[in-house]
Amino acid sequence: MSGRSVVVHGRSLEDYGFGEGHPFNPIRLRMTMELCGSLGLLEGYDSFEPEPATEADLLTVHSLTYLRLVQEAGRGVGDTADLLQYGIGGSDNPVTPHVHDACARVVGAVLGACRMVMSGETTHAMCISGGLHHARRSRASGFCFYNDAGVAIARLKEENPVIRVAYVDTDAHHGDGVQWMFYDDPDVLTVSMHESGRYLFPGTGGIEERGRDGGIGYSVNAPLEPFTDDESWISCFDALVPEVLRAFAPDIIISQNGCDAHALDPLTHLRATTRLYEHVPKKIHDLAHELCDGRWVATGGGGYDIWRVVPRAWTMLWAALSHQELPEKVPQDWTSRRAEQSPVELPFLMRDDPLDYPPIDRADEISTRNRKTVEDLLEKVLPLIEERRTPTWRKRPDGC
Amino acid sequence: MLLVRDSMSREVVAVSPETTAAQALALCRERRIRHLPVLDGGRLVGVVSDRDLRSATLVLGDPERAAALERIRAMEVMTREPVTAHPDDPVESAANAMRERWIGCLPVLDDDELVGIITSSDVMEALVFLVGAHEPGSRLEIVVPDRPGTLAGAAGIFGELGINIVSVAMGSRREEMPDGSPGRAVVFRVDTVNPGRATGVLEQAGYRVLWPPTIPV
Repeated sequence: MSGRSVVVHGRSLEDYGFGEGHPFNPIRLRMTMELCGSLGLLEGYDSFEPEPATEADLLTVHSLTYLRLVQEAGRGVGDTADLLQYGIGGSDNPVTPHVHDACARVVGAVLGACRMVMSGETTHAMCISGGLHHARRSRASGFCFYNDAGVAIARLKEENPVIRVAYVDTDAHHGDGVQWMFYDDPDVLTVSMHESGRYLFPGTGGIEERGRDGGIGYSVNAPLEPFTDDESWISCFDALVPEVLRAFAPDIIISQNGCDAHALDPLTHLRATTRLYEHVPKKIHDLAHELCDGRWVATGGGGYDIWRVVPRAWTMLWAALSHQELPEKVPQDWTSRRAEQSPVELPFLMRDDPLDYPPIDRADEISTRNRKTVEDLLEKVLPLIEERRTPTWRKRPDGC
Repeated sequence: MLLVRDSMSREVVAVSPETTAAQALALCRERRIRHLPVLDGGRLVGVVSDRDLRSATLVLGDPERAAALERIRAMEVMTREPVTAHPDDPVESAANAMRERWIGCLPVLDDDELVGIITSSDVMEALVFLVGAHEPGSRLEIVVPDRPGTLAGAAGIFGELGINIVSVAMGSRREEMPDGSPGRAVVFRVDTVNPGRATGVLEQAGYRVLWPPTIPV
């Protein structure tokens, strides 16, 4: 495998966050970049910081009313109760003075990354500030104000008329925002694997959510049981994602690599370890080369154990994306720089020790249920995707 | 809130007693519905379901089936004097009427005039909206002591933390408090990714949290 890899990052992308005490803390981006740097994984690789998204970019998937409200909220204008109707303000999505600009920069970064990949300037690009998958057309949700992948996909479609985009989301929360934006679109396949929404935010992402109208079959959801471990996660991922992506035959893959399915994550109830975060990017990397000449943009996403999990998980993402071996140890200089600040002991190995995460009693039951979910899903969704891939599909609508 | 008028379909597709089974089945297919009220001069005289129509004719594949479908009239297979609902009935009583009789719909009459139809799918939709499952949120299940004011106490904790409540469901299910005293289970849907912030505070205040669980590490 080959191809050029770039990092799309800059200090100004670390402005998007909500301050101390809020789980979405941009220090995790800084710590990831520092860890990659300390390990020497950035040497010889280019780093880019594209222009912020313009209003016109944001309006491809957001409403003008909402965009103006976000801008006004940042300036301290706007009625609090009114803003809350749009998810703006409150404990999840508090208003910060520069929230519009900061978020528009994140969207611009992911959009820029996608354009570089489509133009052939680079083969792969990683932008860990992106992954704001909950943002809706007119609503801030789950720490997300604007939807970076949504804007990027909408623009890619305008700029490349026949493009097919595969969006693969392995955040522990359902990728609802991106799904709803392209729910009726057969040229955008959204695949989300996440902890079941029976209890967890945002509550959606059941296997019966498969798309609407012409887009039926092009939204794929695998809800996993609470307490799912690596073993089951990985086997479900391997059973599902390659099959649906091959059936769809994308021109580019955009992955959302939230790492909040880790056992240590405080917001979710899954039991993955770094094994999952080493496996998923490698597999997506292979699929990108197999299916679309390597065109792959990886974003970040959730991940709330910001000290022990996020920096290592996203360093694994970068290593896979840039064809580099992952070193075994966390470098001493990185640990000592952050040790004082960290409320928990920092790990000294890049990979988790499986012995620290023994299987729970119900592991077999959980993995059986997950396997059944994925089997059901494949049975229902694959025929829908394949049907449209045959030459006769253009005749479609009413008859099928 | 939660009245039949809020959940019923107002555009009713009805047939006459003389409509043939073939016509009625075609209507069901076209409009993707399963129940047709039968009107005679504007007056409701029955309800016919796609199942009534199908089971009244020869089996699928029988060459004479098409002819039979043309011959049979709605009045021959309909349910006469169907159970009906009023627009101001609570949706739960409509649901109960359907559940007890194993039927899938109720025509809605106001002063003998057919003004709508409510089906089991409409009731399910009402349930989804009731619990707020169409809005982003996390589900939290707690047990509150079975005495006045305790639900308000729990709700107040969300308020103090700036967490908006999307819906609350508290029913008759009994659960024990940690000290063995009687309590009731309450399900909150809250508009936050991070309900864990509230669970610690709720536990400290003496409530029992059933979900989310403490993560076994």
